[in-house]
Amino acid sequence: MQVKKLLLLGVLCIQAIFTSAQEKKSSLGGQVRTSTGAAIPAATIRLQNSRYGTVTDAQGSYKINDLKPGSYVVHVNAIGFKPEKKEIRLVAGETGTLSFSLEESAEQMETVNVIGRTKAQEVNRQAFNVTAIDATKLYNTTLDISGALDRVAGVRVRESGGVGSNFNLSLNGFSGSRIRYFIDGIPMDNFGSSFQINNIPINIAERVEVYKGVVPMWLGSDALGGAINIVTADRYRNYADVSYSYGSFNTHRSVVNAAATHKNGLTLQLSAFQNYSDNNYKMDILAADIYTGQYNQGKTIRRFNDTYHNETVIANVGVLDKGYADKLLFGITLGQNYKEMQTGARPEAVFGAMHRRGNIIMPALKYKKKDLIPGLDVAVNANYNLGYEQNIDTVNARFDWYGTSKPIGTSGERSRTLAKYKNHNGLGTAMFNYNIDANQSIALSNVYNTFDRTAKDELNPASAENERKKKLNKNVTGLGYSYNVADKWSATAFGKMLYQKAVYGSPQPGLTKFGYGTALTYFLNRNLQFRGSYELSNRLPEAQELFGDLENQEGNPNLKPEGSDNVNLGVIYTFNLNRVHNFSLTANGIYRYARDFIFSRYNLNQTKLVLDNKAGVSTIGGDAELRYAYKNWLSAGATMTYQYLKNLEEYVYDTQTSTYVSSPVYLDQMPNIPYLFGNGDISVFLKDIGKKGNNLSIGYNLLYVHAFWLYWPSLGTASAAQKNEVPQQFAHDVNLVYSMAKGRYNISLEARNITDVALYDNFALQKPGRGFYLNLRYFINKHQFKND
Amino acid sequence: MKTKFTKALAALAFAAVLASCSKKKDIEVVPENPGNFILAVTPVASTGVADYLVTASSLDTGKVSIVGNGTEQDGTYRYYVTANNKFFSMLYGQGNPGAVTAYNIVDGKLNKLTNFVTETVQAFAPVKDDILLVKVPRTISATGTTNALWYRVNTTSTSIAAEGTLNATEPTGNGEIAHFSWIRQIGDKVWAPFFGIKNSSFHTDYPDYAGIAVYSYPGMQLEKVIKDTRTSFIGRYFTDGLGVVENSDVYAFSSSVAVNSGVLTSTKPSAITRIKAGTTEFDLSYFLNFEEVSNGHVITNWLYIGGNKFIAHMEPKATRGAYKAGIRLAILNVVDRTVNAVTGFADPATISSITTNNYTPKDGRYGYVGVNLTDGTTWVYKIDASNATATKGLKVEGGKITAIQHLQ
Repeated sequence: MQVKKLLLLGVLCIQAIFTSAQEKKSSLGGQVRTSTGAAIPAATIRLQNSRYGTVTDAQGSYKINDLKPGSYVVHVNAIGFKPEKKEIRLVAGETGTLSFSLEESAEQMETVNVIGRTKAQEVNRQAFNVTAIDATKLYNTTLDISGALDRVAGVRVRESGGVGSNFNLSLNGFSGSRIRYFIDGIPMDNFGSSFQINNIPINIAERVEVYKGVVPMWLGSDALGGAINIVTADRYRNYADVSYSYGSFNTHRSVVNAAATHKNGLTLQLSAFQNYSDNNYKMDILAADIYTGQYNQGKTIRRFNDTYHNETVIANVGVLDKGYADKLLFGITLGQNYKEMQTGARPEAVFGAMHRRGNIIMPALKYKKKDLIPGLDVAVNANYNLGYEQNIDTVNARFDWYGTSKPIGTSGERSRTLAKYKNHNGLGTAMFNYNIDANQSIALSNVYNTFDRTAKDELNPASAENERKKKLNKNVTGLGYSYNVADKWSATAFGKMLYQKAVYGSPQPGLTKFGYGTALTYFLNRNLQFRGSYELSNRLPEAQELFGDLENQEGNPNLKPEGSDNVNLGVIYTFNLNRVHNFSLTANGIYRYARDFIFSRYNLNQTKLVLDNKAGVSTIGGDAELRYAYKNWLSAGATMTYQYLKNLEEYVYDTQTSTYVSSPVYLDQMPNIPYLFGNGDISVFLKDIGKKGNNLSIGYNLLYVHAFWLYWPSLGTASAAQKNEVPQQFAHDVNLVYSMAKGRYNISLEARNITDVALYDNFALQKPGRGFYLNLRYFINKHQFKND
Repeated sequence: MKTKFTKALAALAFAAVLASCSKKKDIEVVPENPGNFILAVTPVASTGVADYLVTASSLDTGKVSIVGNGTEQDGTYRYYVTANNKFFSMLYGQGNPGAVTAYNIVDGKLNKLTNFVTETVQAFAPVKDDILLVKVPRTISATGTTNALWYRVNTTSTSIAAEGTLNATEPTGNGEIAHFSWIRQIGDKVWAPFFGIKNSSFHTDYPDYAGIAVYSYPGMQLEKVIKDTRTSFIGRYFTDGLGVVENSDVYAFSSSVAVNSGVLTSTKPSAITRIKAGTTEFDLSYFLNFEEVSNGHVITNWLYIGGNKFIAHMEPKATRGAYKAGIRLAILNVVDRTVNAVTGFADPATISSITTNNYTPKDGRYGYVGVNLTDGTTWVYKIDASNATATKGLKVEGGKITAIQHLQ
């Protein structure tokens, strides 16, 4: 039913588009190069006396569509170069070509590398507290998205093990579903386990944007503490990028990204990736004998039931740069994952056969058009996930760390099950942006979500819980206004209306919440930017939280939405010394006040987790990032994050008496949350090594996390001998990348955790030791304006 | 150049000021209280809850606090038992194996002896030199026998010395699982009073009989099932319904809380029964209708303090339930057949819960019971059986008492 509705919506949209595309338009494109022929990225193109403009891409190319035929004066500006202008007359229905060759200006030659902004740096200049990762710089690594995010100030990704393991990303202290994920602005809620940030390779993305605390309205969602937006590569019309890596713990990863576009605009885009790992790394744990229960001292044990693999293909077919659409794509995401489970919450609970599976079958529609009518940009997306998730626990045995087992009872390793469920999740988003004039714009967005779970368990066919109806519809509407004076200041204000209706057995009362926010930025001069933002954000309970996960979590249909006041203040300052030492400093201060905080506790008979609301938590913190570059061959940086999460729950619900009693940990620091952590990195780029056009880069990355208590800091004797502590982490990674033929062939070698220390993100759950990975990558791009 | 540095420093300072705006609250610091009593305390908090073990030199007076004091346990839902002068802290691991830590007391302080791993179980008790643990199934197997598992943990070597299975449906003889309410060493046998269950909701079709399964030890062979139709089952979930007095007579209590389809179904009263020393049959000449002698209460737990006297926990019959722990105390003399309500104890309206793992020197007179009040304060009450009075003793700060134990 939902599919039909969505398809109908798509058809209607397309018809509307076709009827409006009557007038024949022209377009303009070209290349911007240096006097020696090298591409100039991030050069600004402006059409005099019009709203039109753009920025050149990494190859120095630009294109502007939907221009009225006529004469234009085209201005080009690039930092480090003298500005230039040219005139052109555009004929109806044709593409005009205008290329530039800019003269270098002696003034700021050496700083070009730092100041010439990439798209990622442009994003960082928004009024929001946002950090964009330029993913293209990480293409020769074996990182997945979560690994790249772990290097951002204010972000901490906690993993329970190796490839594909459970992860929990925290952003300024908020974690779990308080943070929402998007791919090209489309919410990833309920994409299932087969398509998550811990299995999407960084190569899929062009950049990853991290919005902290205040989430722009065009990411229409109910994020409470921030949002991660993965922007996929729309880089080239015709290209292939293939990589394969092999490394420790029998880890194989492959990524294929390719696109082919015909002159008439017909395009085929393909992304495919695969991860496989045995995750059979050694652990320093004390392994107990299943017969005596006694620990064997001083041994290291290999994990044996932790194989993970996933395979995903995303294919899109459609048209580009048509009068009715800049982009109209029909696509499908097909993927599956298999994950063995080695332990429970503590390594004393060892599993030898338990595993889970899931898949994703998701048709999607994407439509985008700038200037549908002059000034109006439209984007429409729709998708529907037909995938399932399944837990498999059928072996009635107890395992130990040596892989030996003994039969036990009849209830599996934990709870005998073959529970399989489908969430039938549909999503439709529409985004309209109207540019009133060169400075002002209004935006309207709407995101609609459906969820309808069906579950069955052939081992427990009579389960009443599986029979119960579980449906959820959610709608988020946003309206925003922006005023922007380029490189001077900008301001934006927005409001959001959230609505949710659940059916849990019987229909539950609907929920409506309002949120609003504002973001301001001011450029004191070209190098110094101040920004501040505020949002009253809301998060509606998720389907999983209302209905449970059929495994460890019970549903709580009475869960209330969470709300939070989020404040950010920040400053970005760039400067150089003697024109060769380039610095950039970003510092942010944050404050959060969350109410009706959703947390999990054990249910009454302590067999499952159940979610509940608690009074509140406040966070005060700050993060800073300093980057340094020497000429264009050395780059170094450091980030540091401090956050203090305070428990504001003065009275706590006592389940024994159903009354509220005063809490002994009121105003204490929240436990089991890293509060001081940072990253450091240094890389050198050596050009023309071995042969002209062959480059070598050597990089080092350090991760530091201060030790933190597992339970409340104020309780118990404050010593590591008497309290449970997650120890300090120092992880050192190094990598070496050799690229040949201007980046067509790349070989890289990575060594992770080179000191081979025991690393823990979570109490007692050790992460992999030293590992080596070899990565081979081939990249070819046939550029449209190659021969102009 | 200079101004650029100043600006950079100003920005850093701005970040540092924001980062350092944290403030600690002021809390009165209660010093350590070294001694041979061990109290397990659970803080009242909605997340991040772990138990803390603190020592005390006396239960009669003074103060202990888990704020800044105590040995943190990994999580709550732990169970504590003393055997062979060792204190065992066991995790109830949600169906999975969990770590056990053993302690003794050295110079008034807890001293960690060893860690080992055992299963999550439903009944455990010292038997001879061991702690016997039994894991009881909750669903009846569609095919084959439904087995309970037992583990024998040697308290000297602190390791599992042996393990085996029991046919869990054999004691009831009616197809239901005999869910042990608790286990206890009687003579050189293990007695396991049980309640029948037909599913994981603990429903039963047979609410009107009491049964005790008698096992050999250490072989754990079922030797006999002692049955009595004068009461409902003996003990409760996780509650020892047996008491052994000085002449070795065994007394048993029934709460009369058998449930089917969510409703109480037993027609028998809450009562005390007896099995004479050396015999394995209920003494039909002895029956104490607890509801009558206590003016309409059921007994939900007890602590034997010696001299045929028990401190009984009671709940009015009208509000009884399978998991409703009584918060009223009485002195029960099983030989005199008397029940005297304890005076001076906290008003039930002010009680949040009372501890069920309590201490007595077994002198026939005193017992110590942990009380968690609704105002958030927690006390050990000293009960004097000689005049059925209670007085406030040791104050505990930061959480609820879950166990009071004593080591030499």
